[in-house]
Formats: sequence, C-alpha cells, structure tokens
Amino acid sequence: MTVQIEFDNTWQDEFINRMEQDGPWGNWELFKLAVEVEKHLVIPEFEGLQAPNHLSGLTPLPHQLEVAKQVVENMNGKAILADEVGLGKTIEAGLVLKEYMIRGLVKKVLILVPASLVTQWAFELNTKFYIPAMTQRKSYVWEQADVVVSSIDTAKRNPHRDIIFKQDYDLIIIDEAHKLKNNKTKNYEFVQNLKKKFCLLLTATPIQNRIEEIFNLVSLLKPGHLGNESAFFEKYRRDSRSLQDDEHLKELVNKVMIRNRRSDTGIEWTKRQVETIAIELTKEERDLYESVTNLRNEGDWLGSSQFSVMTLQREACSSREAVFYTLKNMLQRKENPSQQFQDQIFSLIKKVEAVTTNSKGKKALELIQHIEDKVIIFTEYRATQLYLQWFLKQHGISSVPFRGGFKRGKKDWMRELFQKNVQVLIATEAGGEGINLQFCNHIINFDLPWNPMRLEQRIGRIHRLGQEKDVKIYNFATMNTVEEHILKLLYEKIELFEKVIGDLDDILTRLEFGNIEEHLIDIFGQSSTEGEMRIKMDNLTAMIQFAEEMKGEQVHAATGNS
Amino acid sequence: MQQQEIHNFLEKYFQSNHCEIIENGPGYLIVQLSVEMDKELMNRPFYWHYLEKTGGIANPMRLTLITDSQKAPEQLKGEHIHFGSPRLHQIFESTKRLAGYIRLYENHKVNQQQVPLLPWLGLNVKISYQCDRKRDLFHSIGLQLINGQMVEGFYDHLQNMQLTPKIPDYSFTLSPLVKPRSGITRIENYFRQQLDQEDHSWAKAAIERWNKDLKLLDHFYEEVEEKSENYETEKQALKEQYEPKINISIINGGLFYLTEKAI
Repeated sequence: MTVQIEFDNTWQDEFINRMEQDGPWGNWELFKLAVEVEKHLVIPEFEGLQAPNHLSGLTPLPHQLEVAKQVVENMNGKAILADEVGLGKTIEAGLVLKEYMIRGLVKKVLILVPASLVTQWAFELNTKFYIPAMTQRKSYVWEQADVVVSSIDTAKRNPHRDIIFKQDYDLIIIDEAHKLKNNKTKNYEFVQNLKKKFCLLLTATPIQNRIEEIFNLVSLLKPGHLGNESAFFEKYRRDSRSLQDDEHLKELVNKVMIRNRRSDTGIEWTKRQVETIAIELTKEERDLYESVTNLRNEGDWLGSSQFSVMTLQREACSSREAVFYTLKNMLQRKENPSQQFQDQIFSLIKKVEAVTTNSKGKKALELIQHIEDKVIIFTEYRATQLYLQWFLKQHGISSVPFRGGFKRGKKDWMRELFQKNVQVLIATEAGGEGINLQFCNHIINFDLPWNPMRLEQRIGRIHRLGQEKDVKIYNFATMNTVEEHILKLLYEKIELFEKVIGDLDDILTRLEFGNIEEHLIDIFGQSSTEGEMRIKMDNLTAMIQFAEEMKGEQVHAATGNS
Repeated sequence: MQQQEIHNFLEKYFQSNHCEIIENGPGYLIVQLSVEMDKELMNRPFYWHYLEKTGGIANPMRLTLITDSQKAPEQLKGEHIHFGSPRLHQIFESTKRLAGYIRLYENHKVNQQQVPLLPWLGLNVKISYQCDRKRDLFHSIGLQLINGQMVEGFYDHLQNMQLTPKIPDYSFTLSPLVKPRSGITRIENYFRQQLDQEDHSWAKAAIERWNKDLKLLDHFYEEVEEKSENYETEKQALKEQYEPKINISIINGGLFYLTEKAI
C-alpha cells in the first residue's frame, strides 16, 4: 500500500535565501550538538518507551512499564489506571508523564491528588523522575509553573478555579478518581471543564459494572464518545443485565482501563497474618451496650432511624467516649426536646459514667507493649481516637493522631513523627486514604468498618510495594455484640482479610446487590429477632460464596488487560 | 540522556554561543547570558524593546541550571533541568534553530598548490512514520553538486574531517552545476522512491485499529438519528490519532566544500 508522504519544504526557502545573502551560517559545534539532540529525540521503534532510558535512579517493575506502554501506545494518553492498592500507580503515572514530556507532547500538567499526598507526589516526581513538579502554595503557581500538584478541593475553589480554567493543560492526572463517578458533583463538573489533551484517572476501585459510572468516567476521558447521554441510558437502562454481556461496552472499558492485580504482577508479596482478638466487656460496658440496644424496642422515641441505634451500638463497642459524644450531640440538636427524651439521654449518660475501664484499650496497650515496634490503630470514631491517645500517654506510650481533616502540612508532619519518633499512630477512617506507611507492619483494627473496601484501604496503607515484612493485622471484636456478628460473617466466613481487594470487587460486582454496608444496616436494623438476623446473615454469606464460585468459571468482565 | 550528559550538553551549548560560564560545579551551572542568548531564551521582548527605545544599559540575565539536585549545593536556587523539561526542550529547539544552516570548508593541509574544493549539499533528515504510534529514522545524505553523486551517512564522513568556516589558503571552490534547490528535490525524490518500496504493514495495522475504533464509536450512535457535533469531533480525533503518514523533515544542512578525495 502507499502511504502519504510529506516533505518539509520550509527549510529550503531559507537556505536559498541565506545562499544569496552569503549567510549567516551556523557554527559547526552547534551544528553537531543539534544532530546529537535529534539523535536523542528519535524514537527508534514503534513500540517501547523512551522514559526508562533516561531515569537512571529508577527501576520500574514489569507491570508498571507495561501499563505506561499501553497508555502511550494503545490508549492515546487517555486512561483509567485501576491497579489494586499498593501496586505503584504513582510510578505508572510518572512514567507516562515523563514519556510524553520527552516526546515533547506535554508541557503543562495539572496533578490533582488528596491533600495528604500532595507533598509526596511532588517529591516522587522530582526525585524519581526529575520532573520539577511544584506544590500549589500561592495562586500564581498555576500560571508560572509547568507541573503543579494540588488537592482538588483547593483547585476547584476561587480564585484558583478561574485561573485554572484559563490554562490549557496537556496532561491532567487525577488520583483517587473514584470520587468522580457521580456527574452531579462539583468535583466532576470541575474536572469536566478543564481543558486537557491527555488525561489519566487513577483509582484503586475499578469501574464497577455500573452503567452510570462507565458513562461518567469515559465521558471525562472522551467527551461524546458514548453518544448522547439520554440515548445511551435509554439503550442500556432498559435492561441492566445487558451490560455484562454487551461486547461493545466491554471492549470500550478495555480501551480505557488498565487493571493489575497483585496476583498478576508476579511479585512475591509479604504475607498477611490475621488474628482475631476476642474482647470480653466488663459488667458496666455490657450494661451500656445492652441499654443502647434496648432503645430499639422503645418505639420511635428518637424520631430517627434505626441508624442512630446502630451507631450507638457500634460506638458502645468502641469506647464510652464515642457514645457520650453522640448522646451529647443528640441532645443539642433536638429542638425542644421532650422531658422523656432528656431523661432517656441522661440515664444513658449515667451508664456511660459508670464505665471505668475500656477493655479494648487495655488489650491494645498490652499488645503494643508486647509488639515493641510501630503500630497503627484504626478506629471509626474521633472520640475513641482522642481517648486512646490520652490512655496510651498515661502508660508512657506517645502516639500521634491522623485524620482526614488535617491540613496537608500537618499530615506530612504526623507521618514523619510516626516514622522517626513515636511508636503509635492512631488514625480515623478518613485518614486511612492516601497515606503510605510501609515502614510499619502492625495494624490494630480497634473497631471494624462495615464496608469491606474501607478495610482494604486500611490494610493497603502498609501492605504495599516496599513492605518488606509480613503484615500483622489484629482485629478486635467484643463478644456477644453486633461486632462479633460482623466479624463472623464477613471476616471469618468469607475470609475477607486474606482476600485482596480485586477479588472482592469482582464478587460484589457480579452480585449486583450493591453495597454490603447497606445490607448490614438492613440486617441489624430491621430484624426483629435473633433468628431472623441469623437467617438473613446466612443468606448474605451464601450469596457471596455463590458469587465467588461463579467467579472461578468466568472471565473478568473488566480486567482491561486484553 | 543521563543527567551528566545533559550537563555536558548545556556546557557545550553555552560555550558555543559565547556565554560565560561563571560557575561549573558538580550538578549545576551558572551562566552569564549574552544579549543575544537572553533574547533567544528568556522570552522578554518588552524589556529589550524598552531598552532599545530608551538607550539604557543592557543587563542580560544570569541562569542557574541544576542538573543534579543530589550533588548541587542545597541552598542553590535555580532551574532543575532534566530530559523532558520544557527548558531543555527550548534549548534543544534553539540549538536546532541556531544551527539550521551551515557552510564549511575542508581544512586540508596541502600547501603551496592550488587545491580545488567540490561543493556538496548535505542534509540531516528525520523520517517519521506516524500513526497512533511513532517511529523515527535519522538519515544523513550528501549530494555532490557537480556530478550528482549521492552518499548516505554523510554526517559520519564529516565528523572525521577538519572543517572550517573560512576557505583555507591555497584553495578554490568549484561552482555547482546542480542548483541547490534542484539538489534538494533530488534528495526528496530519492527518499520518496525508497519509501515507496518499503513494506508498510505498520500502516495497514493502524488502519485496521482505526476501523475497529470507528465501528465502536458508530455503535454508540446507532440509535441517534441526528449525528451531533460531538460525533464528528470524535471521528476527527480518531483520524488524527490513527491516520498513517510519513513526514520527512530536515533537521539541518548546508554546503560543504570538500577535497576530491574526501569521500
């Protein structure tokens, strides 16, 4: 076949001109330098990356190189990188960025990441990739620096927003992009309006086979590719099952998404050792728990959902401080509380005051003293976090807190203190995302999240590339409480802890039954008897196990590695 | 290009452009730009315009370039240069622009005898095969402008010669019989012929991938009666991404007057 050939004619006109004018002529040294430059810039093969040859200090892993190659060669720089937690998505994105910069295709770059990761991203790009990434500190950075790392929350607010919208970005990288699944949010709208040539969306949670998510994420990468929004939904909503079988959608997802699992990488991962530690409540703690539980039978006195009761139950399994904090809030928020309501709350507060020890806290202390190494404690409640910090201090153990709400600088500082000075870091849920602590290998789950994904996020903080030791996970479960049920169901029957996140994703997706957390709230909130609860739980377990068996037989719908 | 190579490159670039290197330490360079180089690199036309209007004293900038932050002094403030950084790209472009055209003579050591120098047109060329992927080839072609002889790898020959911008003593140049413009056309035709004979399975494969993507796109618009602007934009984007073509661009080149035995 013949291929269209274009010969650049601009050079010769100027050449003839200079011949007529007798110059000016370039110098021989520069002439040679120019040829040298060009020889460096030449891309010798259709396939393969240039970047690794220019990064002496970095040895990317095979799967990371493969991802970068796919993105550049097959995806035209528009991709969702959905590796499991801890496989090095930052490195992959850095490789792609570097490759495009070397090819001269990318100059202006915006990197949006969680606040706690801003410094780390900038540091890694600078040291590992020699990319002069600036962290956003002043508003003029947007215009002056070529590569800027910022949190999306800062970027989307004015005055930044307006300045950013004026920039033409060659590449935009968004970490934790699963937050953009919903196109009604401010974040989505913001990202959609950015001018971009290439775009990388990083997420540890893959596109679950939900039509909306696919539509929204793909539309960010390739606006208009899926046709008109209403026509699209008309076609696919009609029969939601058609999604799994739809070759076109599958093909499309494979075109924009790459996902590596730990098991695909061929890397020897350190083991996860899980230990469940049963906690016996003291008489007073038990009394508090029972009183809270009994609220459910007292009718509609809260004027609110089962949810509140369940929250109090779960808090009672964590610390009396957590319960107290919620009770106090309930009282303050209620307008014109009835006498009955107030009495109820005060009697509960009495029970709280009667509790003098925290059984879990004592156990945690014992463990920490025994471990004699760095430990991370995760709790769902801020009140528990504060209490634990105080309690450990009483016994001569200093700790640092970690929360999602901390400013970036404070997060960096806490991480550093933990790495260098103190033995214990106490994190609440929101702090679990976006901090890398692979220098530590002990986790205490002081209380358990009901959402298995969040649990994986927790473990992913330490069980990631760079972890050299086996990871030890201690799960605290108070006996004869809702917590024990949860642990039995999710974490023993389904062996969740040993699983890696990808498997679970697949299972949940296959089930199409939505959020496990919602099922649990239903089971514990709506069941009127123990028996009903047990039956519902068995059902849920059976469904999950069934899905697991199915998984073995089917090919993944969205592995993206075809 | 490793960081040390970049360092050496920058050093040569500024030296060749007559800029004083004030400090040249491990991992960094401090360069006093000349007026010309300030205009070339610093992108401040208003300053220079203002200066020319007012007749003020030119104050070209100093550049601090850090090529290895591990080795450079910690407190040193400057631009970090790496392969792929915009500044380095700019300097690359500038190198090519400043050295786009050249005329050189072979500095032969023959004394006391008039030596004829033959005119050669030398072109350094980049051939880019482009579709959704890319491949480049570097070619250097020399065309003797009297007898029409064509030589591949011309640049390698040149590198082994002593060349000088001034015509050496005891030498005279022969005038070209082939005009430079038609010389360039000869070289162009030479490339076209070569390329026509090549196997272009890469282009076939690209078109297959293109069609597959088009089909997928069409699928999502099957039931839309009026194809929107979006559809056309996406279609155009696919064309730009996949359409195979070959670009021949001239990196630099010029006239070389060489002795008869030189090549």
